[in-house]
Amino acid sequence: MRLSDIMGHADLAGYAEVALVLFLLAFLVIAIAVLAPGRAKEWERASRLPLEDPPRQTPPSPGAPPTDPSISPAAGAGARP
Amino acid sequence: MSSRLESFTYDDAIVRKFLIATFVWGLVGMLVGLLIALQLATPAMNAGPLLSFGRLRPLHTNAVIFAFAGNAFFTGAYYSTQRLLKARMFSDALSAVHFWGWQLIIVAAALTLPFGYTQAKEYAELEWPIDIAIAVVWVVFAINFFGTIARRRERHLYVAIWFYIASIVTVAILHIFNNLAIPAGPLKSYSIYAGVQDAFMQWWYGHNAVAFFLTTPFLGLMYYFMPKAADRPVFSYKLSILHFWTLVFMYIWAGPHHLHYTALPEWASTLGMLFSVMLWMPSWGGMINGLLTLRGAWHKVVEDPVLKFFVVAVTAYGMATFEGPMLSVKSVNALAHYTDWIIAHVHTGALGWNGFLTFGMVYWLLPRVFQTGLHSRKLAEVHFWLATFGIILYATAIYSAGVTQGLMWRAFDETGRLQYPDFIETTMRLIPMYWVRAAGGLLYIGGMLLFGWNILMTWRKRPATYEVPVIQAAALEPAVAEPAPAHAPAGVLARFMSAAWHRTWERLPVTFTVMTALAVIVASLFEIIPTFLIKSNVPTIASVKPYTPLELAGRDLYIREGCFNCHSQMIRPFRHETERYGEYSKPGEFVYDHPFLWGSRRIGPDLAREGGKYPDLWHVRHMQDPRSITARSIMPKYPWMLTNRIDFDGIQRRVDVMAMLGVPYGDAVNRAPQMARAQAARIASGIAAEGGPAGLDDKEIVALVAYLQRLGTDITRTTAQAPPRLPDAATPGPAPSGTRPATPGGF
Repeated sequence: MRLSDIMGHADLAGYAEVALVLFLLAFLVIAIAVLAPGRAKEWERASRLPLEDPPRQTPPSPGAPPTDPSISPAAGAGARP
Repeated sequence: MSSRLESFTYDDAIVRKFLIATFVWGLVGMLVGLLIALQLATPAMNAGPLLSFGRLRPLHTNAVIFAFAGNAFFTGAYYSTQRLLKARMFSDALSAVHFWGWQLIIVAAALTLPFGYTQAKEYAELEWPIDIAIAVVWVVFAINFFGTIARRRERHLYVAIWFYIASIVTVAILHIFNNLAIPAGPLKSYSIYAGVQDAFMQWWYGHNAVAFFLTTPFLGLMYYFMPKAADRPVFSYKLSILHFWTLVFMYIWAGPHHLHYTALPEWASTLGMLFSVMLWMPSWGGMINGLLTLRGAWHKVVEDPVLKFFVVAVTAYGMATFEGPMLSVKSVNALAHYTDWIIAHVHTGALGWNGFLTFGMVYWLLPRVFQTGLHSRKLAEVHFWLATFGIILYATAIYSAGVTQGLMWRAFDETGRLQYPDFIETTMRLIPMYWVRAAGGLLYIGGMLLFGWNILMTWRKRPATYEVPVIQAAALEPAVAEPAPAHAPAGVLARFMSAAWHRTWERLPVTFTVMTALAVIVASLFEIIPTFLIKSNVPTIASVKPYTPLELAGRDLYIREGCFNCHSQMIRPFRHETERYGEYSKPGEFVYDHPFLWGSRRIGPDLAREGGKYPDLWHVRHMQDPRSITARSIMPKYPWMLTNRIDFDGIQRRVDVMAMLGVPYGDAVNRAPQMARAQAARIASGIAAEGGPAGLDDKEIVALVAYLQRLGTDITRTTAQAPPRLPDAATPGPAPSGTRPATPGGF
């Protein structure tokens, strides 16, 4: 007997509805998590993330070691293409 | 807890590169779009094989989707990701590989599609070596992106990053599974799926390519760049999260709405419709969230072209996402499917949503990444108005064309006969609208040229050396358990409601990514597994047999010329369709179709029952010059098919691959070329006997005629009639000749 025969006789008529209910439940869980009381401050802070520009620092003096490899002279040099 | 300050820089060079590529490929894609729009209005614009509509149409769609919109997404993603995560991209080398790899893929597409190398799957036309390259470059992008997340200095992942993650994960899944194919040559392959299953996989991919390549990435961009441009936070962050999860949960289910009333099982079609209708709500939630972000800033919209572009983009998103669910309703779909209505719908999304969001974003980015003022705000304003009127003109014409087409196809006169039995009547009615559409496209491209000029002139004003500011941000502390609140909520329900679990989840991108992937995969499997495994979904038809080797070669030519871009092979179970084309299509008719060729549009008539409608010579003359048969036909000429030779020796490998895929070719795996030559000789002598040109025995046209004459004929055979017994070279291939019934269909 092939797998397709087994599946064909498995009476999966309600299959799609089961999936629908599962996903509605998942959505409800997410909705509760998002709308849960006490998270307003967190969301307020998160919503402002695109507007936050971290402070800029003047380029370090030539002798000072960078704290991040990405600001090594090679990486930091902005010679235009 | 100590906060150690770290210094770092952003990589804006990669942003500049993607930005330029966005413009260049956008212009190319739109110019090809204008050319094929003109080809519909006047077929004389089809200039030879390389520039014929069937080969250029996929070039247009691929260029606009993957080259223009793709590069736009990468531009915005590279800029916003670094800033939202307060980290430089994980690896400059990976960024470079991503950029150059993606551009090479686009060049490969531009070089192969006009030569007819295609898998015949919409938006997945590129052949297997390019598909592998796409997968590799996408993985490079993913490593770079997730590596940046791992190095971030901001604990919370802003919602834009969620949209990027969902896009990266889902596109990888879609691309890999829809493109599974067995190579039959360096640039030729056959899909491992056939017929109904192939159609299902294709539209699972096709719909979700729109969702996860053109929608979710751009929503991520919207959630970052709109607040930046308006200088205020998104209207509701909670709504943005609900927007995200509902889209991820629902989008993946909606694909079957592209296959209503086809041979797809009814349950899958209904499921696709229901989820599509539900999608309206989150989509409009997102649109409202975008527009309300401008609350209190509407006065800026008047002055700022960036915000103008954003407002129209989000409005177009709202229109397209209202129309999508509406089109998925079966009764509406019955009218709209195969018509220009769908083309209008797609262009509202592409020109309005993707195009305008890209323009707004780039105008906002130009002064920042080139570190100088925008060359001309006035030109940007003119660009906005040109493009807006271009969309209006385009949309008005093509929506009208779509509805006109749909209504004419289904019209009956008072005697109960088709009112427009000749397909060409419906085509002719659309020509004025095709001209208006081309004019709209021209306006849009005019705006695009101003856009390019503004980019060029701004770039020329750039400083001799770009300043690379050093940014400082606190290092991310290792993830530790949340400090217990002074008054911890008691009880399971209270702890659940405090949602600390969700907070932790958001901060762990691995878990988050896995959950997103699971939502997509589980939803896909709920639809895919039954479609593939329940036998009753595709009842077998005893008289349906594999194509003969020559017909297979002809089918490959049909694919090479992109005939499926204009002709469907799927008769829906409507009276107006069965009256016009014949018996409606059955799932079991396509079990050997690797890939399926149902098509999605009828610029010309359906060909599912083309076999036997006309004599062989009719097809030869029609392909040589369609207007010699149907005076006002807009179909391109294919004279090269009467001179190009059939690659008989190459047929064997193709038959062998088909056999590997389970097509019962029997003895044909040993002598396919001989069988093909024998069938070709019979057809060629028949054509000569009908008064046609002699010496076509080894010409491509004979293979194409063999294929066309086979289409839809299997179900009319009884088991008593001899089917095309493939293994037997002496058995004539089914090449019935006959006359066409009362409903002619030259296009």
